[in-house]
Amino acid sequence: MPGGGRCPDCGSTELVEDSHYSQNQLVCSDCGCVVTEGVLTTTYTDEGNLREVTYSRSTGENEQVSRSQQRGLRRVRDLCRVLQLPPTFEDTAVAYYQQAYQHSGIRAARLQKKEVLVGCCVLITCRQRNWPLTMGTICTLLYADLDMFSGTYMQMVRLLGLDVPSLCLVDLVKTYCSSFKLFEASPSVPAKYVEDKEKMLSRTLQLVELADETWLVTGRHPLPVITAATFLAWQSLRPSDRLTCSLARFCKLANVDLPYPASSRLQELLAVLLRLAEQLAWLQVLKLDKRSVVAHIGDLLQHRHMLVRKAFRDGTAEPGALDAREEELQGPGQGQGWGREDRGHGSLDLPAGKRPASPALLLPPCMLKPPKRICPTPPVSTVTGDENISDSEIEQYLRTPQEVRDFQRAQATRQAATSVPNPP
Amino acid sequence: MEGEETYLELYLARCAAQDDLAPPRSPLLSPIVPYDVYTSNPETTFNSQLEEVTVTSGNFSSVDLSFLPDELTQENKDQTVIRSKHETEENCKTKSWQSRLPLPSQQDVGLALNSSGGSNSHSHLHPGDADSAQPSPEKPHSLPLASITPMTPVTPVSECSGIVPQLQNIVSTVNLACKLDLKKIALHAKNAEYNPKRFAAVIMRIREPRTTALIFSSGKMVCTGAKSEEQSRLAARKYARVVQKLGFPARFLDFKIQNMVGSCDVRFPIRLEGLVLTHQQFSSYEPELFPGLIYRMVKPRIVLLIFVSGKVVLTGAKERSEIYEAFENIYPILKGFKKT
Repeated sequence: MPGGGRCPDCGSTELVEDSHYSQNQLVCSDCGCVVTEGVLTTTYTDEGNLREVTYSRSTGENEQVSRSQQRGLRRVRDLCRVLQLPPTFEDTAVAYYQQAYQHSGIRAARLQKKEVLVGCCVLITCRQRNWPLTMGTICTLLYADLDMFSGTYMQMVRLLGLDVPSLCLVDLVKTYCSSFKLFEASPSVPAKYVEDKEKMLSRTLQLVELADETWLVTGRHPLPVITAATFLAWQSLRPSDRLTCSLARFCKLANVDLPYPASSRLQELLAVLLRLAEQLAWLQVLKLDKRSVVAHIGDLLQHRHMLVRKAFRDGTAEPGALDAREEELQGPGQGQGWGREDRGHGSLDLPAGKRPASPALLLPPCMLKPPKRICPTPPVSTVTGDENISDSEIEQYLRTPQEVRDFQRAQATRQAATSVPNPP
Repeated sequence: MEGEETYLELYLARCAAQDDLAPPRSPLLSPIVPYDVYTSNPETTFNSQLEEVTVTSGNFSSVDLSFLPDELTQENKDQTVIRSKHETEENCKTKSWQSRLPLPSQQDVGLALNSSGGSNSHSHLHPGDADSAQPSPEKPHSLPLASITPMTPVTPVSECSGIVPQLQNIVSTVNLACKLDLKKIALHAKNAEYNPKRFAAVIMRIREPRTTALIFSSGKMVCTGAKSEEQSRLAARKYARVVQKLGFPARFLDFKIQNMVGSCDVRFPIRLEGLVLTHQQFSSYEPELFPGLIYRMVKPRIVLLIFVSGKVVLTGAKERSEIYEAFENIYPILKGFKKT
């Protein structure tokens, strides 16, 4: 009870605000004594029990605000509470909603759009405070479709001139991974599938970082990459028991939706890991494939920076530099003493005849795939725009009178045919 | 790419053909030549001294245009922008401009610039150069004309891209200035479709140039799908002719290009996350919504879609030069994100 008021009769502090008809009264909930009566006229003793009048009551600000806007503001607060956001987020989101509402385009929009606008305000607030909230989550909560959401979101950012930072990948990984239900045994999750949260989280973070470095994240939706990385991290922590589990089954166990692109992200990530494995001396002999490489993900991640530099080139590195790097990395103990020698010669500590694989180009997958169709350069056009247009060229587009009659007859019969199946 | 060069060459040929004067190089060597001689009777003066031009390697980075009279200090911006593109392209290709100096060829931008400047009073140089165009003829420079500064903001030769965006689509509008009966058009024209419940216009298509037109009953028409401005104009005229042949008094008023779309490939991958961090006031990158980055350039007012594969789409232009300029502006920015 704010104000520390006490009932003059029984001394209890349980005072509640109640209204008798239209007049506000402060009443003791224990003995029923009316402590203060009315707001305008008070006696000296009453003044000790005065309650503060809330701002919204005294200024009548809600009378200025339209009912639709009030509803929207209530929805914003509700959404913040459902998402369990910190309290300061609510005020910011409400402020954004009010700011957006000042624009006539938003005021005149349909209710559906105003509903989506609620989500946009919350999303922008979360993005600015680095709270990892995806658009998919908001659309699911609001039962809105992504197209509607994207249009309203882009419009709002442009209208208010906002600077919205990108989704923070690290925070998203932490939140998303924590939502996987694999950290305790349950009837649906056998013991061999249960995993320690910290280990899985750190390994997933390393895998996502690797994916980011090798162009698997730019331009793509972030969530499927994280799903694939979580799956690989989980598998690699106990490969012998978990290799048999597929991605779909994993998501079902963990009670998480499987996003559609996740399986292709998984294949891309495995291909990158295989390329890295080719650069590690003790893995080259094993002739790994997409299943067996999972067991060695721990080693690969430990040396990932060096391996990426070694396994990939960006097309501008000179061949000489590559040779020097390759030899430097044959093992942790060997130094720079090899000097520049041709590849495949005896200085490399490998089985006879084997050389490290030549570095692949570090490019996004869309650049590595062959183009679907070769775009031919258009023929040189010498059109001036003022050429003569021959009559015959235009006539080819016109119907002869006979054709017109035929067409009209055909249209009439079609009309008759469509109207017949509806008997009166 | 050849198509673009041919276009530029044609343009330059047209401009150079208007002026059959030799380049006015002589004022530099004989600084006392008065300016009216320069404009009125340049041919004899120039031709006689053409042979005396010596190619001396000098400091041509400090171009002194002081010999040119003030009226020559404004140049048609479009001409120069296109020419400067051509010039920067030329600079990329040929390291020594000396080889192309002696002959007043049409290819030589600098010379063409001045030959047109010598004869046409309406050809102008950029106002920015007006400061240096004060008469101070006591400093003879060795052939600075060929390296006249381009009109666009200074782009060092080493940064020019050598890539020319290709136009993919032109949208234009024209007013036929008569009320049209869409039902009649749809009945008498083979290449028309009209569904009033779906859309209140006739959709007509022609094969050459391959375009589509929306024809409204008010007489206004929108023509889309052409690959160049001239093709768009020709196509619009053909549609107007079709409407004329159908019996309407169609005219061809206010033809205007409303939008041009171009595309090109820089051939290296781009870190879109980095680009949105450094250019956040212009860029919008939402991978959850769209795989490309939307860059809203302020000058020229063009929207660019930049993808991770290095492909760039430029749209929102009313002139071809805006697309070229926008690409030349974005190329150094993209190159900054080339290394991973």
